[in-house]
Amino acid sequence: MLKRTGCFVLSLLLLAVGLAGCASFSAVSPHKTVWLDLFDTVSSLTVYGVDKADFEAGAKALHTRLTEYHQLFDIYHSYAGVNNLKTVNDNAGQPVAVPSEVLDLLEYGVSAYRRTGGRVNILFGAVLELWHDCRVTALETPVAALPEPAALQTAATHTDPAALVIDREAGTACLTDPLARLDVGAVAKGYAAELAATYIREELGWTSALLDMGGNVRAIGGKPTIGGQTPFTIGVQNPNTDSANAYLLTVGLQDMAAVTSGDYQRFFMVDGRQYAHIIDPDTLYPAAFVRAVTVVCPDSGLADVLSTALFTLPVEQGLALLRQFPEAQAVWVLTDGTLQYSDGFNAYKK
Amino acid sequence: MKTGRKKGDIWLVTAVLAVALCLFLLLWLLPGDGAAVEVTVDGAVYATLPLDTPTTLDIPGKNGCVGTLVIADGRATVTHATCPDRLCVRMGPVSRAGQSIVCLPGRIVVTVVGGTPAVDGEV
Repeated sequence: MLKRTGCFVLSLLLLAVGLAGCASFSAVSPHKTVWLDLFDTVSSLTVYGVDKADFEAGAKALHTRLTEYHQLFDIYHSYAGVNNLKTVNDNAGQPVAVPSEVLDLLEYGVSAYRRTGGRVNILFGAVLELWHDCRVTALETPVAALPEPAALQTAATHTDPAALVIDREAGTACLTDPLARLDVGAVAKGYAAELAATYIREELGWTSALLDMGGNVRAIGGKPTIGGQTPFTIGVQNPNTDSANAYLLTVGLQDMAAVTSGDYQRFFMVDGRQYAHIIDPDTLYPAAFVRAVTVVCPDSGLADVLSTALFTLPVEQGLALLRQFPEAQAVWVLTDGTLQYSDGFNAYKK
Repeated sequence: MKTGRKKGDIWLVTAVLAVALCLFLLLWLLPGDGAAVEVTVDGAVYATLPLDTPTTLDIPGKNGCVGTLVIADGRATVTHATCPDRLCVRMGPVSRAGQSIVCLPGRIVVTVVGGTPAVDGEV
C-alpha cells in the first residue's frame, strides 16, 4: 500500500514539475521591437525561437527594408535622392523614373481596382486630397468644413485608373491626366507587410513571428508549443474603445493575415458629426455602412485591400464581393454593434 | 491491512493537499493580469506606474507633445494630448497585459506590463 501511495505521490510531483515546466516554456518571452517611424502608424515585430543577437540583426535589416518601402510609397513627403510616389504626383503629366518596387506596388494597386470592382482605386488621390485636408483641419481646429460638393465632383473626374501608365522597359510611371493623383493608403501597408513576411521567412529564415503594421497583422508560422505550433491569438477590437471589453472576439492566425478597417480610430468631427477616413467611391463621402470589418486571408496585401473595399459596401454586397475570394473570410461590426460573419469565418474563431 | 490502508489514505490526502497548496501559491504569487503600465518616450523608459493606484501624469514627449495619462479603476487612459491628431486619446483605456496606447508625434508608448498578454496582437 505504501508503495502504491508512494507511486501516486511521485506521479503527482511529476505532474507538478511538468506543469511548472509548461508554464516556464510558454513564458519563454519572445523578442519584440516596436517601430514608430513607418507608414504613419505603430508597427511591431515579435519573434520566437531565435537568440537575441540574431533577432536584433534581423529586425534591423527588416526595418531598413521597410523604411525603403515607406519612403518609396510616401505621397506626402520627399526624400533626398529618391523618386517616390510624391514625385510621380508632383510631375503629373509626364513620365517619372521610379524604382521597380514602386512599379510593383502600382501594378498591385491596379489589380486591386479590377479585383474589387472599383471599390479600391489608387487613382482616387484627387478626391482623397480634399478629405485629407478637411480631416487635418478638423483635428487641429474646432472649425472645419466638409469639402465643397462641387469640388468633390470635379476631383472625381480625375480618378480614371487608365490615367496611370506603367512602362516597365523605361522604368517609369506616368499620370497622363495632370490633375490625377495617386493615393495608396488602402494598399501600401498591407502590401509592404506581405513583402516583409516573405523577407522574414525566406531571407531571415524565421519560422515563428508576428508582424503588426498598424492593425495589419501578419503571422509567419504560429506560436511555438511543445512539438509544434499553435495559431497566434489576435483580438478584434471593439469599436466602442471605452468599453470594458477591448475585444469583440479573438481569431487564431497561423501563416495568415488579418486587417481591420473601422470608423473608430482615424475619424474626425465636423459640426458634431463623426466621419470615417475611408471614402465611398460612389458618393465621394465617408462610408458609414458598418462600424468595422475585419478580413482574414493568407495574403496581407489582399486583406488590406478587401477590408477597405468591404468598408465601403453594405454587408450584403460585401458578402457577394467576398465570395470571389474563397481564401478570404470576414467579420463585420454593424452599426448596432452586432457581428456578422462570412460563411467560413468559424475556422478562425477562437 | 486495514490500518495500512488508512495510513496510506492519510499520506495520499496530505500529498494531494501539499501539491494543491504549492500550485495555488505559485499561481497566486505570479503577477496578475496587467499589474502596471510602462511609459516610454522615444524608446527610453520614462515611468512605470502601478494600475491599482489612481494617478495623473503629464508625459513630455518629442516634438513638443505632452500627453496626460490618468490611472483610475485599474485602467490607464490618455485623456488629453497636445499633439495635432490625438489618436492616443481615442485609443481609450487599457488594462490588460500587452495592450498599449501610442502617441506617434510625441513618440510616447504606454504599455500594460506584468502579466500574460491575453492576445498576441490586435486588429
